[in-house]
Amino acid sequence: MILSNVLLQILQVLCVLSLAPLLQGFILKTEERIQRSRGPSIFQPYRDLWKLFHKQSVVPESASWVYLIAPIIAFTAMLIVPILIPVLTDRPLPQSNMGDMMGGGMILTLGSFAIILAGLDSGNVYGGIGSSRAVMLAILAEPTLILVLVGISLLAKAMLPFVVNHLLLSSASAYWSPAHLFLILAFFALLLVETDRLPIHSSTHLEIYMIDEARILEYSGPLLALLKWASMMKQFILYTIFCNVFLLPWGISQLGTPFGQFGSVVALLLKFLLVALAVVVVETVQSRLRFYRYQEPLAAGFLFAVLAIVSSQLL
Amino acid sequence: MFLAHVNSLQASIFSSLAVLSLLLTFVMLGSHWLRNYVYAFAAQSWLIAALSASVGYFAGYPELYVIAVLTALFRGLVLPYLLMRIIARLNVKRELHALLQPSSSLVLGALLVMFAFVIANHMNWQPLLSAHVVVLALTIMLSMKFLGFLMLTVRDEAVSQILGLLVLENGIFLGSQILVPGMPLLIEIVILFDLLIVVACFGMLVRFLVVHAGTTSSRQLNRLVG
Repeated sequence: MILSNVLLQILQVLCVLSLAPLLQGFILKTEERIQRSRGPSIFQPYRDLWKLFHKQSVVPESASWVYLIAPIIAFTAMLIVPILIPVLTDRPLPQSNMGDMMGGGMILTLGSFAIILAGLDSGNVYGGIGSSRAVMLAILAEPTLILVLVGISLLAKAMLPFVVNHLLLSSASAYWSPAHLFLILAFFALLLVETDRLPIHSSTHLEIYMIDEARILEYSGPLLALLKWASMMKQFILYTIFCNVFLLPWGISQLGTPFGQFGSVVALLLKFLLVALAVVVVETVQSRLRFYRYQEPLAAGFLFAVLAIVSSQLL
Repeated sequence: MFLAHVNSLQASIFSSLAVLSLLLTFVMLGSHWLRNYVYAFAAQSWLIAALSASVGYFAGYPELYVIAVLTALFRGLVLPYLLMRIIARLNVKRELHALLQPSSSLVLGALLVMFAFVIANHMNWQPLLSAHVVVLALTIMLSMKFLGFLMLTVRDEAVSQILGLLVLENGIFLGSQILVPGMPLLIEIVILFDLLIVVACFGMLVRFLVVHAGTTSSRQLNRLVG
């Protein structure tokens, strides 16, 4: 039995929606385990979300409609991106070409843009600081993201992530080419920055270090739950892109049978396990960088992306 | 010649390994910390060992496996260990007064790579895909030699000078693995042992310098003489 395309696309979104807290929980748990403490259960993020959805929401007096609408925009943006990328199946799905990689990148950024606006709108000092820092990071990270996307589309001669996945599956020489390896390195640097991990983002949320947490400091209740869920989904989506489009293109259902879908969920979890362990290692061995050294990991990522483009043109 | 009929997968693997080892040379060039040089050198040696093994596998030279193991063992483990011991004894952790800042030496290094590419491009006469690999291997071999010379000239700590020499030698070794994979095993082994002796001699020299001159920086040694 082959599932219909529409159902497959809904399944992709549901998969991101339901498994994103699990990934976050796993990373937090592993970090604590490496530091030889017990750590929260890997299901703790689900419980947190449940708790927050049952609380009352308090809105600051100075806030306008931007404050109320931003979490919904961020959450919706994260629901749209899984339609565009191969999460469970790499058969080109009907709605997947409504936006190419640049479009996906834009929607991802739109979500964080809405949160930046909300941080400024809330009128809180920390919200302003967080938004300013987040904008500075975005200025440093966006060029790398765009260059990585340009590099992978030069490699695959197409702008759709599904095509990239097919190319890497079918041609071992494309997989092992220097351009692709550099793109993996560049995207890994980007992954650490965009998912609030250590070289830049602090693992403990103290006010002086906060970047992403500071922007949403004023939120409470269901709106906060939406924001947290959106950031977990963003993490899940970036991991999916990293695994299915860059690093490990194997283990995705091609026909779209129910059993195949189940298999790809299992494969996805295994792949995330590997990437999450790498991220946890980085988080454990790295200390947080000073504010004025933020550009260093991002410059390294940028350099890798440029090298990838140069080598895809020369070799 | 083996490279004349290389297929695209082999070309990708060779060029990836070669380009990554060039990148590690730049890591060495861009860092001030002696410890980082040694780590980068060790990683580079492991990459070159992987390159030897893959050339041996694809081109059918079983003796290259032996060379790969010896490279990984000597250049990847023994030499870095010896260098670490020298560094630990020196109590010099970083290059303080290098002639060029890391950023400007990186730019100079990039120019040298371009120069190497121009030379390699002139020397090439092969068609298509094999030409890519040949030009790339020549470029990387020449640029690692240039970068090794650059490190020898702009750095004045004794340990960085050893490492400059080793990078230079790694470059030649890398090029020879791709371009003339059938080089006799005996020569490779002789080179490996030569390197070991070089590092051992340097260790002795450094110890002598520390005891008798109190410094291992060539700049300060110059001042003592003149």
